[in-house]
Amino acid sequence: MAITSDRVAISRLINRFGFGPKPGEFASLLAMGLPAATSKLMTVPNSDAGIAAVIETDFPNRGKFPTPGTPERFSFEQLQKSDRINVELWWLDRMVLADHALTERMTWFWHGHWATSMGKVEYARPMKIQNETLRKYSLGNFKDQAQAMVIDPALMYWLDAGSNVKQAPNENLARELMELFTIGVSNYSEDDVKAVARGLTGYSVDRSAATFTFNANKHDSTSFAILGSTKSWDASSIIDLLVARDDNKKFVTDRLWFRFLSSALPKPSDIESSFNNRDIAPVMTKIASYVTKDDPGMSQVKSPVEWFVAVCRALKITPSTAQNRAQIINYLDKLGQVPFNPPNVGGWPYDEAWLNIASTQYRIGFTSFLLDQGDLSPIKGLSGLAMENALADWLGIAEFSTRTKAVLRSPGLTSAQIVIAALCSPEYVVNG
Amino acid sequence: MDTLSRRKFLQLTGMGAAGAAATQLSLTQIAEAAQSRPMPTGTPILVVVTLYGGNDGLNTLVPYLDPIYLASRPGISLTAKDVIPLGSDGLALNGSMTGFKTLWDRGQLAIVRGVGYPTPDYSHFSSMAYWQTGVPHSHVNSGWIGRWLDTQPHDPMRAIGLGSVLPPLLAGVKNAGSVLPLGGLVVPKGLVAKEFMALSKTSSSDTPLQAAAASSFGDLFSLSSKVQPVLAKPAPVPDDLPSAVGGNFGSDTSLSQQLDIVAKLVAAGAPTKVWSVSLGGFDTHADEVKAQSLLIGTVSTAVTKFLSQIHATDRANDVTVMVYSEFGRRVKANGTNGTDHGTAGPVFVMGQGVNGGQFFGDEPSLSKLVNGDLAVTTDFRDIYGSMLEDVLTTPVGEVIPGWSSKIDGLILKA
Repeated sequence: MAITSDRVAISRLINRFGFGPKPGEFASLLAMGLPAATSKLMTVPNSDAGIAAVIETDFPNRGKFPTPGTPERFSFEQLQKSDRINVELWWLDRMVLADHALTERMTWFWHGHWATSMGKVEYARPMKIQNETLRKYSLGNFKDQAQAMVIDPALMYWLDAGSNVKQAPNENLARELMELFTIGVSNYSEDDVKAVARGLTGYSVDRSAATFTFNANKHDSTSFAILGSTKSWDASSIIDLLVARDDNKKFVTDRLWFRFLSSALPKPSDIESSFNNRDIAPVMTKIASYVTKDDPGMSQVKSPVEWFVAVCRALKITPSTAQNRAQIINYLDKLGQVPFNPPNVGGWPYDEAWLNIASTQYRIGFTSFLLDQGDLSPIKGLSGLAMENALADWLGIAEFSTRTKAVLRSPGLTSAQIVIAALCSPEYVVNG
Repeated sequence: MDTLSRRKFLQLTGMGAAGAAATQLSLTQIAEAAQSRPMPTGTPILVVVTLYGGNDGLNTLVPYLDPIYLASRPGISLTAKDVIPLGSDGLALNGSMTGFKTLWDRGQLAIVRGVGYPTPDYSHFSSMAYWQTGVPHSHVNSGWIGRWLDTQPHDPMRAIGLGSVLPPLLAGVKNAGSVLPLGGLVVPKGLVAKEFMALSKTSSSDTPLQAAAASSFGDLFSLSSKVQPVLAKPAPVPDDLPSAVGGNFGSDTSLSQQLDIVAKLVAAGAPTKVWSVSLGGFDTHADEVKAQSLLIGTVSTAVTKFLSQIHATDRANDVTVMVYSEFGRRVKANGTNGTDHGTAGPVFVMGQGVNGGQFFGDEPSLSKLVNGDLAVTTDFRDIYGSMLEDVLTTPVGEVIPGWSSKIDGLILKA
């Protein structure tokens, strides 16, 4: 296959297997060359000073909603709202501050995979606990991850698993478990959905505490068939069955390839075998080895959160301590992507969906808002070619197009205006 | 209840606006068209309303006297006090749908019963994909309105979706509809504006996605300069709302906001023949009675107000509205006073050109269920046939592969 320059390959690595470079990071990766840069970006270090600087917030069990219309209800809802913003900013802080961002990037991917929304869950506590579970298994074993997620209180509440009893099974979790989380659509029958729902009966969820209990007398422990295997089932044995299937191997690696490298090009044939043991780290290393592929189909749009986090990393803005931090969430909402709030159980859209007049408009407004509090020192005092090169290195852009170079050279622009143009440029919004 | 399923519902892997990318359009023509070539009155306009999440058809068009209905849904079945009867055959509208009852009485609402497609799929994503592509059990990347656009001369203003993401039904093979965000369009001014205009040029080094990102700048500037003045005007004032349903139109729901924008642009003569709007939240697995009544009441109220706004313009005879959801819900309630994903449901078709005040299609029998679900009695492609042939005057076979039928008499011939 045709091979790209190191600049292109490392720009892909730092933007897709991380959230874009901190100031100076891209240049230092370029200096060490592609093999060493790949190894550095794909190996999670034992400690991370950036993550250590994230302020931890406690999200205690807030208990049940008080009666509507009472003063207690009003203050409870204020508290809930504040919890929700705090947990959103807490995770954005992790993405922005991490020195080594692969773990957060993987957690972000898995959040889109097991897409659970606070819109229904309402409490921050179960969402944060789910997030910690996803992080724990983000580069671990997919079967362990699936075993933990099928009994994750937020996911269970989101998909009505807590109210699935043998007298009246609720199929919501059963269907999505197969269709969206493990084996993919058209690899099972409607009878299998009904059977998996029966096998998952008997749980109840305490949403505010983020706990579940299993009630054996509400569980259907009779013997019946799922995907051709007949026995008495429970959540754990259902996950064992689903994850062991070949269609699980294909489904998960398809999704990883699609979301990390290309929604346009087919997955190379040698990727699946690196997922034989369902270990996630080796398949990510394998996928990362394709960043050198020279093809326009390799380009990828930064989703709103990915774009925002990259901007904050470059400008040294910490979301939770930014001026007017609620406005940050507001802008992300207008752009269509707030962490912990996917639009539905299928997760967020990708690529073209983020390129339209509405998102372009909001991106311009958001950038102008952020620039007021950003650190522009990497291009301070520079002009002409030196400024362009410093800007590209700072932001992790392989190369500016002639179009964007012409804009950056427009006479009379301030540093801030130059940076706004660069952060909204097609080369920054779309990683080439 | 899935509270967040609205316009973003469909953007799942493999189903996003994939077809649209190839046709990222310059909207300069749209902007010019809105002013320089207003559409002649008498040109038919179709408004497609998508209800995301799977609306419970049995609590929308309610067989409120049927003992099987009552017995299947203890806790969530509606009885005479909760509904508005339509004639004497035991069917009634959900009590929240007073607006639709008015349209029915005026002969401007037809209800097509038992609508679905063969071998129903219970996945939101698959089922909505089948409805929006118009090709059940297939993985085509184009939507039915998108393929209709392909039969028409290229005009980016011909079909518009309200929201910030293109719904798959508007993505064709060579043409695509446009999107218009709810908040309207605001662009920076002064020196920075000049920069951004320059960023809209494509560059030889651009990948297709980078070129699309560049053209979105140009689209933003050209569309905002021409459409924004129209959006800033007040919407047409409803002129034939009965007082009984006039009182609660102050509620600023997302659907009525979308339809307000449509009403303004229709009144202004925009050369748009198909509009797409939507409402989400219909995935009522738990505690559904109040939530579903509220949602379907919102639809009834918003559409009735919209048609009254259109009535006040010179295009009262031109507009047809179609309301659908990806599936109905299970006949039996589940254990949480909700319903799981089901099959057939009613489709509402409204406007002065509709042969309304009557039902089309057979009501699925509650005593002849298929695996516990309603049998499909009408294929949705027959409704598309009527919309395509009798509203948009395009042979259905040019848009829906291998399809040739429609619902005779649904649309009155002009």
